[in-house]
Amino acid sequence: MTQRGFRTAKRRYHYLFWPLMAAYTVLVFATSFLVDTDTAPTWLKVTSALAVTLPLFGVLYAMRRQTEETDEYTRMRQLQAMRDGGLITAGFAFMIGFLQIFEVVDLISVFWFGPLFFISYGLSFCTQNFGKVV
Amino acid sequence: MKNILKILRTEKGWSQAALAEKLDVSRQSVNAIETGKYDPSLPLAFAIARLFGRPIEEIFDDGVELASAAE
Repeated sequence: MTQRGFRTAKRRYHYLFWPLMAAYTVLVFATSFLVDTDTAPTWLKVTSALAVTLPLFGVLYAMRRQTEETDEYTRMRQLQAMRDGGLITAGFAFMIGFLQIFEVVDLISVFWFGPLFFISYGLSFCTQNFGKVV
Repeated sequence: MKNILKILRTEKGWSQAALAEKLDVSRQSVNAIETGKYDPSLPLAFAIARLFGRPIEEIFDDGVELASAAE
């Protein structure tokens, strides 16, 4: 683990995060406009799906790198928020999975577990210090 | 753990942000340490002690008396 300090870690995170998010946005719009999922060949659909996913893997790498490089208190807060986000997402995955097994709900796209993780991670990060000794 | 970081910082006339910049940590880190919500690691405690030119035990107090700790 290479601790570089809060400012350097933050700068390196932003240098990676924003270009990746820009690439992700462009790819999402480009593929949704250019690829017709009803008529496009499978190789094109696979390529498009993986191309859109690649920047997201980059963002996940940037998050991991920042937790390694930032200062100890920020790292602790980030990891606590990721823990909460991961556990909430896992909990919902099990709950929705069993609801599907018991045929209570129809199939729900697994795509939504990604946003669920980031929303719960963000909410946890913003609320973790409310009246709590860490 | 109790500490006198806020007193030392205000003596120098530094804001939390200024101290955070000198230690290369977030302002929230300084606030958490000052309010006792977070105990710094040994390397950060040493960095704080060096910055203020004081021994660690003068800045941080875990509330344990040396005599009773030796028993």
